[in-house]
Amino acid sequence: MNRLGRGGALRHARLQVVLAVAAIATSVALPVILVSVGGGVAAHELSDLENSGYEIVVTTSGSHGIENAHTQAEWVLGHVPSVTAASPVLSVPVVSFNRTGANTSVLAEGVVPQEFTATLGPTQAGLFPHPLPLGDPTDSVHFDNGSYAGPATYDALVSSTYAASYHVGPGSRIVLAPSTNESAGVSYNVTGTFGVSVSFAQPAGAFAVVVPLSDLQGLTHYANGTGTVVPDAADSIEVAVTGAASASPSAIAAAAAAIHARMPYYSVTTLSQQAEQLKAAADVLTGFYLALSSVGLAVGVLFLALVLLRKVEAGRRTIGIRRALGIPARLIASGILRDGAMLAAGGAVVGVAGGYFVVVALARWGSSTVREAAGLAVFDPLELGAIVVGLVALSLLASAVAVRAALRIEIVEALR
Amino acid sequence: MTTGRPKAVELVGVSRTYGPGTPEEVRALRDVSVRFEPGAFVSVEGPSGCGKTTLLNLLGLLDEPTGGEVRWDGRAVTLATDRARARMRLEEVGFIFQRFYLLPMLTAQENVELPMIANRVPRAERRRRASELLREVGLAGREQAYPHRLSGGEEQRVAIARALSNRPGLLLADEPTGELDSRNASAILDLLVRVRADRNATLVVVTHNPEVAARASRHLEMKDGGIASDRTDG
Repeated sequence: MNRLGRGGALRHARLQVVLAVAAIATSVALPVILVSVGGGVAAHELSDLENSGYEIVVTTSGSHGIENAHTQAEWVLGHVPSVTAASPVLSVPVVSFNRTGANTSVLAEGVVPQEFTATLGPTQAGLFPHPLPLGDPTDSVHFDNGSYAGPATYDALVSSTYAASYHVGPGSRIVLAPSTNESAGVSYNVTGTFGVSVSFAQPAGAFAVVVPLSDLQGLTHYANGTGTVVPDAADSIEVAVTGAASASPSAIAAAAAAIHARMPYYSVTTLSQQAEQLKAAADVLTGFYLALSSVGLAVGVLFLALVLLRKVEAGRRTIGIRRALGIPARLIASGILRDGAMLAAGGAVVGVAGGYFVVVALARWGSSTVREAAGLAVFDPLELGAIVVGLVALSLLASAVAVRAALRIEIVEALR
Repeated sequence: MTTGRPKAVELVGVSRTYGPGTPEEVRALRDVSVRFEPGAFVSVEGPSGCGKTTLLNLLGLLDEPTGGEVRWDGRAVTLATDRARARMRLEEVGFIFQRFYLLPMLTAQENVELPMIANRVPRAERRRRASELLREVGLAGREQAYPHRLSGGEEQRVAIARALSNRPGLLLADEPTGELDSRNASAILDLLVRVRADRNATLVVVTHNPEVAARASRHLEMKDGGIASDRTDG
């Protein structure tokens, strides 16, 4: 082994080495955790989007802002080429009352059963009973051309989590109300349950119910329009096109354009546009994670520089002896650079492993949301490699500071 | 390359001032001119603080004069770059310090090999040469001992072996027996005299020890940063 350039053998500074490696490992673990979990969640959301059963979505700013949702959806279905389903969806938090009279908040989704089912992707479809047991499949009887004079089904599906927590199931009855005033509520017949998938972009929550759209509009007064509420309100209309057209961006774009011509005040976006937006958002988040991580890396590298400077200071005499003997500066420098690289590499290995085990631990023992997010983590070798390479590059800078200090040592002074 | 050839070294009007212009200013050498002929054995004596070590450091290119010129074989080396000066030290100077200055994390063998590694001596050759030098200084069988396992006399023997490893033409010794008892001092002195004679190197020894000085053929007496006397035997 070439021991010429040793800037002070590492074995003589174990505590410093342990502390330096720990600091660097911490600074590496942070980006590993942030990037792997953030990237995993973003990839999951993107996958969810790409696997959804619709290709176009109509939305508007604010809540419940799509007016005449039933009529608009029917028009899309009847007039836009290639469209096979148009599903208006209204999401409103309501209060449910169980048999003991206790109340809990639940997210209610109002849907047109037949259209809703037709716009579910394969994964989502597996979570719901088929056909959706909500009575009138087209939700036209109760809606009755906007009069809401027809008989309602008062059928409801409850999430499996809700069902398990409150011991309800098919045949049970629950009361849903727009507020905690139970007397304003309506009794619903539970006709089935559905599963809940992880969703971070839209945290639907584990407690949810699905009811006919017109029922929810009537319950929450989003039916006839009062004050600031539009009549026959919905949050979105999800539009599915035929199998052949769904693979054709131009057919989807043409359908979207036709819908937008009919509803110029609403936002009409295609799935690919949504995916791009999601990717852009994910990129921004990744950039933010990396910026945050760079602070940690900077701290680790500063610590490394301090340790190396401390080692140079402690090794003044041995450096002076080497220089007195005529050992070339490049060999003294290479010894310090090697020490820095070894510390950085050691810290990087421990940090990557540490970050990995932290994510695994969070996926096993974290709180529910953290556990689900950590469970989606993706360890991309390229990203991890980039973090390690970045750290080693920064460690060379830190080592260069120590090298400069070492080569400025006056030989005669060092030998006194 | 002049490795192994005895060097003529010369100071021409050399001064060395530490901390010039500050309250702590020290004029260690004042306009010193002296020449050391190739193969000479010169002792430099004088009271503490008279500039002996400064003179030695300047001869060996460990330090730079604030005035005047240092010449090796007639060539001015004062203005050489740091890199060139390091090269010259490595190839042409053997230093022997009062406090030995062995590297504590290296074995005796590795300490002796150190200058040869930097001088790109092939591994097998440097191993052989280091073992031979250690045997020559009486340390056969102690090659793998670390400095803290060696006595003061043994450490100085290793330091002498290290100083000889690149076959220098100039040996500079600063109080080589200063930290040794009389028995060890005498043995080290014998060794120095022998290796100088064997290699015909130029040897300059800074010493307080009359016994060491007595073995030299030329004697410089220093005082207050200057040469007070310069005497050659016989």
